[in-house]
Amino acid sequence: MVCCKECIELLNDYLDGELDPKIATSLEEHFQDCPPCIAFLNTYKSTTKLCRETLKQVEIPEMVQVKLQEFLKHNIRKP
Amino acid sequence: MSAEDKETEERLVRELQAGKKEVFDEIANLYQRKIYSLSFNLTRNQMDAQDITQDVLLTIFKKIDTFQGKSAFSSWVYRITLNASYMKLRSRKKEQYVSLDDALPSFNGAGFQKEKIRDWSESTESALFVSETREVIERAVEQLPEKEKVVFLLRDVDGLSTEKVGEILDLSVPAVKSRLHRARLFLRKKLSNYFDEYYSRVEQK
Ligand SMILES: [Zn+2]
Repeated sequence: MVCCKECIELLNDYLDGELDPKIATSLEEHFQDCPPCIAFLNTYKSTTKLCRETLKQVEIPEMVQVKLQEFLKHNIRKP
Repeated sequence: MSAEDKETEERLVRELQAGKKEVFDEIANLYQRKIYSLSFNLTRNQMDAQDITQDVLLTIFKKIDTFQGKSAFSSWVYRITLNASYMKLRSRKKEQYVSLDDALPSFNGAGFQKEKIRDWSESTESALFVSETREVIERAVEQLPEKEKVVFLLRDVDGLSTEKVGEILDLSVPAVKSRLHRARLFLRKKLSNYFDEYYSRVEQK
């Protein structure tokens, strides 16, 4: 029987599907009997998703885009 | 990246190396958003990210001959971006990083969780939290030590594979995974603190 500590240490590999099937099964058995670990698993997954959605939205602002174009023109496209 | 994109990229690099300077625009178009977004997430400063993007583009242009194709071109570009970002960060006042150990869950002697764990995973869908969780995340990422931060940004935000991140940072796969896990635990803890506070306020009313 695995304990919570082991479960949490292995979460990353578990979610990547890279655990030995036997170990993955024992993790799943643990989750069935352990609401705190289920909550941990769910919020661990949500953290990754939420962080990605939040930080991925960085776009180059138009002002910066203009400056970049100018920079390229002067420093790289010189005849 | 699709095989086709990879081919285009390789062709562009070869042409630039052969002195065909006009293809640089295409290379810049392929990479400038990635460069800007990574450097912005590392510095959280628009001016700095702009400077870094310019530096990186110029370095690619000037040093293209030193690119030997031992690793992917994109890995080379990521490495230049990281170096430029670190130079910029080093010129700033040292920031205070927190210890990630504080974010580890606590266990009893038998290895079972001691804390009550609130499952807030459904709450993240609600528009109610968007601007506040954004703040929590931005602040937490800023507090991450560089080693963990960069792995987290490349793997979880940019969506690169574990192997690719290892190639860029010259780290083994287990090292990438352990840094990523520590970063995620820290970010999860910060988000949990936020939701715990929010719900205890609501429940008191
Ligand atoms: Zn458990």
